[in-house]
Amino acid sequence: MPEFKGRPGSAGQRPTGGDKAVATQKKQYFRRKKVCRFCVEKIDDINYKDVKMLHAFVAERGKIVPRRISGVCAPHQRRLTDAIKKARNIALLPFAAQF
Amino acid sequence: MRIYEELFIIKPDASDEEVDAFVEQLRTQLTTAGATVDKVDKWGKRRLAYKVDKYREGNYVLFQFTAGPEIVHEFERRLRVADLVLKFITVRIDETLKRLDKRKKERDKRSAKRAANAGSSAPAPAAPAPLQPVTEGPAIVPGMPKES
Repeated sequence: MPEFKGRPGSAGQRPTGGDKAVATQKKQYFRRKKVCRFCVEKIDDINYKDVKMLHAFVAERGKIVPRRISGVCAPHQRRLTDAIKKARNIALLPFAAQF
Repeated sequence: MRIYEELFIIKPDASDEEVDAFVEQLRTQLTTAGATVDKVDKWGKRRLAYKVDKYREGNYVLFQFTAGPEIVHEFERRLRVADLVLKFITVRIDETLKRLDKRKKERDKRSAKRAANAGSSAPAPAAPAPLQPVTEGPAIVPGMPKES
């Protein structure tokens, strides 16, 4: 009989440190779940000409905002970076902020 | 034949007549080469995100045309040579448009189905769904800048 038991202490086992997990969770402050704006608003087209929209995903210095901050899903982030880079090429967005 | 989009920046110190003449010239060149110009859009003067050849602003013009690759090559060469042009970008958009069209159709179908299910789930589930008028705008270039 094949057994798929996890190693002792792994997630497959009984939750041994249950109360500990609660304690660590209590310490963490509440964070809102991030959602991809393009999925929610059903924006299919991420166009490089739509500067207003792209501006929301560019930091002050002109850097592309990472996914872990903005919450954009991976397929959309891919298209977004593409659009931002195109917009930079035609001087719609800065490569770097000017001082 | 492919659909292309060409966005280029004309120097801000060129007069309106010069710009118009230049755009007209490009358009005639394209049509004589065998391309069909679908759209010419002048955005007017905009601030550039960074300095280009010491200019802080530029006159944006957008062309959309259907042509083969050789014509684009020639068109780009002309833009490169032209004194008026600061910068240009060519984007092939036919595949993007196709993808968008497909997504839109899927979305419409799904929403129609959902509406049909919500409307006629109890009385007659087998009845054909009341077809929603699928409005399909031309939507040649979505995502145009809304600001002036």
